Amino acid sequence: MMTAYPARTRKNRLDWLLLGAMAGLALLGALCIMSAVNSVSFYNPVVRTHLIALPLGFAAFFAAWSFNYQIFDEQWKPLYGVILALLIGVLLFGTYQRGSKSWFVLPFFSMQPAEICRVLTILVAAAFLDRQGRRIRDMRTLVLLGVLIGPVFGLIMLQPDFSSIVITFPALLVLLYCAGVNVFYLALVLAFAAVAGFFTVAWTYLYLHPALLDYALLDAFYKLASRPLYMAGFSVAVAVAGYAAWWFFKQLRIFLPSFYFVLATLVVLAGFFAGVFVDHQMKPYQRKRVEAFLAPQSDPQGASYNVLQAQIAMGSGGILGKGLFSGTQSQLGFVPEKHTDFILAVVGEELGLWGTLLVLGLYLLILWRVAVVAYAASDRYGYLVCSGIFGMFLTYMLINFGMLIGLFPVAGIPLPFISYGGSNLVSSMLALGVVQSVYARRITSG
Amino acid sequence: MSAVKVSFNSRLRSLLVLALIAGGVVALRLTDIQLLSHDRYLKLAERNRTQVLYQTAPRGRIFTADGKAVASNAPSFDLYYLSAGPKEESYFARLAQDFAPRLGMDKEKVLEKLRQGAKSGKAVALAENLSPKSVMALKELQLYYPGVYVIEENKRVYPYGIFASHLIGYLGSMEGDEWKNRDLSLDYRLDAKIGKNGLEKKFEKELKGRDGGVFLEVDYRGRVRRVIEDRKWQPGSDLYLTLNYAVQRAAEEGLKNSMTGRGAAVALDPRTGAVLALATAPAFEPGMFVPYDDEPQPKSKRISEYNLAVQGIYPPASTFKVITAIAAIEKGGFNPEKTIYCPGYYDAGSRVFKCWGVHQHDNFFEGMADSCDVYFYTLAAQTGPAAIEKTQRMFQFGKPTGIDLPGEKAGNLYGPTKRARNRSYWFIGDTLNLSIGQGELLVTPIKMAQFAAALASRGKIWRPYYLDRLVSNQTGKIIQQGQPELLGTVDIKDSTWDLIFKALKQTVDSGTASRVKMKGLNVYGKTGTAQNPHGDDHGWFMAFAGRPGEEPSLAVAVFVEFGKGGSSAAGPIAREMIKAYFGIEEEPLRRAESAGGTASSRKMVIPTAPAAQIMSNMDTMQRLVLSIGQAQSGGEE
Repeated sequence: MMTAYPARTRKNRLDWLLLGAMAGLALLGALCIMSAVNSVSFYNPVVRTHLIALPLGFAAFFAAWSFNYQIFDEQWKPLYGVILALLIGVLLFGTYQRGSKSWFVLPFFSMQPAEICRVLTILVAAAFLDRQGRRIRDMRTLVLLGVLIGPVFGLIMLQPDFSSIVITFPALLVLLYCAGVNVFYLALVLAFAAVAGFFTVAWTYLYLHPALLDYALLDAFYKLASRPLYMAGFSVAVAVAGYAAWWFFKQLRIFLPSFYFVLATLVVLAGFFAGVFVDHQMKPYQRKRVEAFLAPQSDPQGASYNVLQAQIAMGSGGILGKGLFSGTQSQLGFVPEKHTDFILAVVGEELGLWGTLLVLGLYLLILWRVAVVAYAASDRYGYLVCSGIFGMFLTYMLINFGMLIGLFPVAGIPLPFISYGGSNLVSSMLALGVVQSVYARRITSG
Repeated sequence: MSAVKVSFNSRLRSLLVLALIAGGVVALRLTDIQLLSHDRYLKLAERNRTQVLYQTAPRGRIFTADGKAVASNAPSFDLYYLSAGPKEESYFARLAQDFAPRLGMDKEKVLEKLRQGAKSGKAVALAENLSPKSVMALKELQLYYPGVYVIEENKRVYPYGIFASHLIGYLGSMEGDEWKNRDLSLDYRLDAKIGKNGLEKKFEKELKGRDGGVFLEVDYRGRVRRVIEDRKWQPGSDLYLTLNYAVQRAAEEGLKNSMTGRGAAVALDPRTGAVLALATAPAFEPGMFVPYDDEPQPKSKRISEYNLAVQGIYPPASTFKVITAIAAIEKGGFNPEKTIYCPGYYDAGSRVFKCWGVHQHDNFFEGMADSCDVYFYTLAAQTGPAAIEKTQRMFQFGKPTGIDLPGEKAGNLYGPTKRARNRSYWFIGDTLNLSIGQGELLVTPIKMAQFAAALASRGKIWRPYYLDRLVSNQTGKIIQQGQPELLGTVDIKDSTWDLIFKALKQTVDSGTASRVKMKGLNVYGKTGTAQNPHGDDHGWFMAFAGRPGEEPSLAVAVFVEFGKGGSSAAGPIAREMIKAYFGIEEEPLRRAESAGGTASSRKMVIPTAPAAQIMSNMDTMQRLVLSIGQAQSGGEE
């Protein structure tokens, strides 16, 4: 694919396919939002906000396109400062909405800084990785990136806004992978996430089933989450276990580099403490969602009820759908969060299988175009930025569709361009604007 | 650098391929949900959004042949306000003004309910269980006030109380299996009442009808958005039976007031096989099984669904002597005037068989009228068991009558063939037992009625049928019609029939069956007392009757469990049934002079069953003493 572009001399300044896919999704989204909120009392503010956000998003798109993206590479440190400033600012001056302090309320509209930060984080991480050169395969790079991104994630979790993490973390993993980071180290990162996830899920399960705490071992395990003494004991135990494993392998005459054992111990400990942190930040409704995913039958009227209703909506739509504004599941309120997290259910019910396949197809088109732009990028930074954005949209697509078909828990994540949400729309369009900027400058600085 | 870049590209490319594969999986799953499972989800979505104020359809009525609706419906009315209608306060005020007096309610109270409905958005009942009188006016008012609906529910009533309860059956709530196996085309609701027994169960599909209702579109909180459809119910089809109300009633009253209150009575039209009465006692009140208040029935109120009339099998006893007689006459060389001496016992060589009395010299007619065992022992010994078995077969003993009711028992044919097949022996004692209808021979009351009808019609064996016609309430057309069906004919000589008719007439006129003797009627009959080794004997009474100069038009069989004697227990019931059928108003029979006189002088009741033969002398003596007392009080056979 790379060879197709440099051959041309009179190149396009804009990837029309990418723009077309984005505009198509945005148009479809606007229609579905209007239909979804047709019957609710907050119809006017929602439609008004979305109609303001759309031109803003296009403005951000074209602005980012006209900018030379390399400025983000050069000015990555101020950009990092902006991220921290926004996130600290929202913790200081933000307002609570649905239990999270993640909103700036401005005179005319509100904004969620975490949304723009997820794009900026990718730009900053790409710039950092671009500077590593051949050291990209070293452990040091990964650790330094962790030091760089850690505070950002920490601040987001203080809001708390898990959905941003759920998107940004996989996007960064994709970025690291494409940047050429040693797969073994990536596996360590994944192991860290898995350990953190395990503790969180296990504690959540115990939290929701207090009867299990009658078992002394489970009770002790549950106390790990809250008692400092237990935590210290656990840390020592892990360290001792790491040492014992090293000694044991030595006795068996299997010689492994000793730093593997150190790494394994550190990863388990880091995962454990990340899990403790996440556990403390979780809201009851988020615990319920984890529960609903673990055992969907246990709670038909609760969180899994929402997924069921969404599936009923999609299934009842059939091939051609019931028509915009005529889906009974959506219009009568059986589908929850229908204009944001479950907008796909509205698409499925009112536009049918064609509608959902169209959305899926346009998303795959965007992913394909972003990857193509990454290949065509004139420098490594452009390639990295596109990879990160590719990872971001891939995660959005997988989680949104996966949630509806029962593969993922309900994460409360909007579907960019389709769902209602101004900040999300603007920052997603901005991201594609950056991709267009990479595309527009693909040959210039060889 | 460029080499490194190619390897990066391969990483991104693999991710792109992964994304496309994931997209393919998602597309497949979407196709599964939206295309393959579309129908299921559509149904769920429809169920989500609709709520129905049901109006139960009236269940098809059940009529007797003389036009009495023995199962019918009582409507009950509720008045609802649906918030999908106008919600202005002025509208409510007008509404309350108009409706309150007709509902017999305070205006403020109506207003309060209306406001409550408007606020909650749900359907509210303004008044429940309205009298049918006020409903006409309310239905008219409903036309002027949108949002107001009169909801009509129908519930099953049995206006005549206990009437043919085992035949008609009763209704009850659906149980697990019934709900699982329900007929989906009939739109059963979870709280629907279905036929649990008898005709209510058998004709459930036809009787049910189709429920109507006001179909509402509701949102996820159950608030009414609009009325989708106001569907009228369609009543179920009506069932017209061949039952004769008076005969059935007489049979049930008689059984209820009989000595034990347990038994069965069946009346057939011998010209067609139509069932005129089919009664089993103890009977139950069918309405009591329709607990509309959803309270479980107390255990004591539960009654066996055991329908003795078609499921109870007992030895036919002396009524069977008719078969023995037919076999003997048909065999030839039979002289009805020849007398046989009855000393009170029959010496079969190895054993002595007792008669229930000492009848001295009896000819055929006297032997039948007195039901003299010794006469028939002698007859049977001459005729032989094979001929008797053959005659049994002609009357289709040991076969079900074929009435269209579940669980009918076939009874048992008794004869040497079966013994031979089982590689067992047939003794002279077996022949003697057979001749008086004891032993392994077993019949149901309905079989006995079919037998009586076969005698009455000179050999026509009809399949008993109770369904005259099933009429659709929507089209007025007959869906199903009962037809007489001849199962077989008994091919014997006319002279034989004449002898049998004469003997059975004499049994009524001056013999053991004199209880059914009636002026202006030709009545034929035979009693029977079935030996019961476990308790009191069972009473049988079999009769048929017709107006003089006409062929018999009624055949009855009455069975009283533990009734001790056929004439004393079953006779009066048969009498009342015959009277009811022919509409005879006659003073009750004078009991003492008709049978008692002869009984006290001539008759001593001695058991004739195999059980009695086994009994020791001591036992026999005790029994004898007891029996004499009974003979004086009730005395027959």
